[in-house]
Amino acid sequence: MWLYEFEGSDLFRREGIPVPDYALATSPQDARQKAEEMGLPVVVKAQVLTGGRGLAGGVQVAESLDQVETVTKRILDLKIKNLPVRQVMIARKVEVVRELYVGVTVDGYNGTPVVILSTAGGVSIEEMARDHPEQVISRLIPILQGLSLDEAEQLVREAGLDGEDGAQVAGIVCALYDLFRKHDAMVAEINPLVRTTDGTYLALDAKVEIDDESLFRHPEFKEASENNVLTPLEQKARQIGVTYVELDGEIAIIASGAGLGMATMDIVGQKLRPANFMETGGGITADLLYNTMDLVLQKEGVKAIFINLYGGVNRMHEGAKGVVRYMKEHEVNVPVVAKAVGNYQKETWEIFEGGGVTVIKEVATEKGIELLARLLEEKK
Amino acid sequence: MSILLNRETRVLVQGITGSVGRVQAKWMLDYGTNIVAGVTPGKEGEVVEGVPVYNTVADSVAQQGVTASVIMVPPFAIKKAILEAIEAGLELIVVITEHVPVHDIMELRAIAKERGTRIIGSNSPGIITPGEAKMGIMPGIVFSPGRIGIISRSGTLSYEASANLSNVGLGQSTMVGIGGEPVIFSSMTEMLELFENDPGTDLVLLLGEVGGSQEEKAAEFIAQKMTKPVVACIVGYNAPDGKRMGHAGALVHGSMGTQQGKVAALRQAGVPVATHLLEVVDLVQKCL
Repeated sequence: MWLYEFEGSDLFRREGIPVPDYALATSPQDARQKAEEMGLPVVVKAQVLTGGRGLAGGVQVAESLDQVETVTKRILDLKIKNLPVRQVMIARKVEVVRELYVGVTVDGYNGTPVVILSTAGGVSIEEMARDHPEQVISRLIPILQGLSLDEAEQLVREAGLDGEDGAQVAGIVCALYDLFRKHDAMVAEINPLVRTTDGTYLALDAKVEIDDESLFRHPEFKEASENNVLTPLEQKARQIGVTYVELDGEIAIIASGAGLGMATMDIVGQKLRPANFMETGGGITADLLYNTMDLVLQKEGVKAIFINLYGGVNRMHEGAKGVVRYMKEHEVNVPVVAKAVGNYQKETWEIFEGGGVTVIKEVATEKGIELLARLLEEKK
Repeated sequence: MSILLNRETRVLVQGITGSVGRVQAKWMLDYGTNIVAGVTPGKEGEVVEGVPVYNTVADSVAQQGVTASVIMVPPFAIKKAILEAIEAGLELIVVITEHVPVHDIMELRAIAKERGTRIIGSNSPGIITPGEAKMGIMPGIVFSPGRIGIISRSGTLSYEASANLSNVGLGQSTMVGIGGEPVIFSSMTEMLELFENDPGTDLVLLLGEVGGSQEEKAAEFIAQKMTKPVVACIVGYNAPDGKRMGHAGALVHGSMGTQQGKVAALRQAGVPVATHLLEVVDLVQKCL
């Protein structure tokens, strides 16, 4: 779960990472008032959960209160990568003499936290690693030992920072690492970390992702507003308890596992176009599949449904009852093809066939999609 | 021959009295797995499907000589369950449980590495050595005994690939589900090394998906160390940027973790990569 910049900044402030003065605003008038209290000039920043807001015009400097109003209005009217801007951050503008990058993230392969530091801040870390690998220093942190201030100081020395600068940045690196651990972060990133003309270091952006699986022990994030990045159908899927990713095509997919779901999506994509990726995980019940039928059919333009199930941990025959019940209660005018292999497959086939679902009694998903394509052709 | 698991392995089920644990214990027993004990704290003295239940892993080791555990406890209990299994000195731990926090996995992984305990998962369908035993939730009927080793990041993907292979008489030596999380306990590369050294395996099938760098690292290992043929299939060609595709670890981030990148790395290492699941069968037949 990604946090908004202001949520990340709140966290930074709480954990001892210095940030400039900032306030949130939801209207031009509100922004004017906040800027007046803070003092000019200010930077007005769109609060959206996506990168590239600068290029999209979502970050603007305002020198006067009138300008704060006009700039805020312009930013609130923006859509950045299809996401509406509902609020802006008003931050005091600081004079920057140098920009750094500091990040802590999970090194998936080594299974341990990694601290990344670069003297070329401001651009994305991927670009940095590609264009200036010599300026990027990374260090795997043994999680059971953690990161000491001494080690952090050594790390920043390698990046060419010593004396007072080194001490400040090392302190920030340690605070960021502690924040990462304490709040179950997947990513905690300051880009840029800047040195101002008076020699202090400030975090000018806050990018923090919290591990979804850890939210049970972080109730403070549970109510956070990340649902903003999900489409309405994706939000609905989350309520039902399945994973759904909206795509551009016409063939709806219901699969009982992530890998199978992706494989199905790929196979559909060879000749037709998938309307969605959807997988149930291991908790199939009649109600769950009833709800997923409703979900995938809410997408406009769906021309067929392909159901792809394996009975390992999943009780497919229970799920089939839900599909059939849905079709009995609703007018489903598109072909529904199902493949079901594993425990209870015979029972599952009987239930599907009794309820108007076309069953493909083969193993290969390719055969099922061929059948579905034929049914679509016949329908034309 | 096989890797990690055979009909003699003395298996413990942690969480055997839960709703999933009970059903799965029965199916594992029906398959022939040598389940000798179950553990649920506070349930000592119960018997599930003829299997005695103990309060602690240490008790199950002392009483039944357990060497391997398959864990099916809820996420909130997982950290304690894994720690207990490590401390009891087990050789192999298979974690089926899904939704384990990543920081917990990182800590437990570090402890397991220090102790030399092999852990598979989390969010794994388990391990099956067809015709002998299974520690996990996979449907036994799609697998058949044979000489192809399978390493998969996804349960359902391994089921379909195995069923396709079984249909044409190509059985499997062992299938290991390494798990769909961003951080897993044992890597694809470690499993490749086990299959390379297993006299019962002639060819290894890698089933990958978008996200992370398991496949890229595996490609390096294959180019440098593998003498046995490897075939791969990587799913998620159409996965959009920034969306988790069902598994927490299945995430494309910009140019990182894409299906296309993984396919290129594997092909560079000389591995034939199938563009869809059924093509795996043709490629395996060609490479044998």
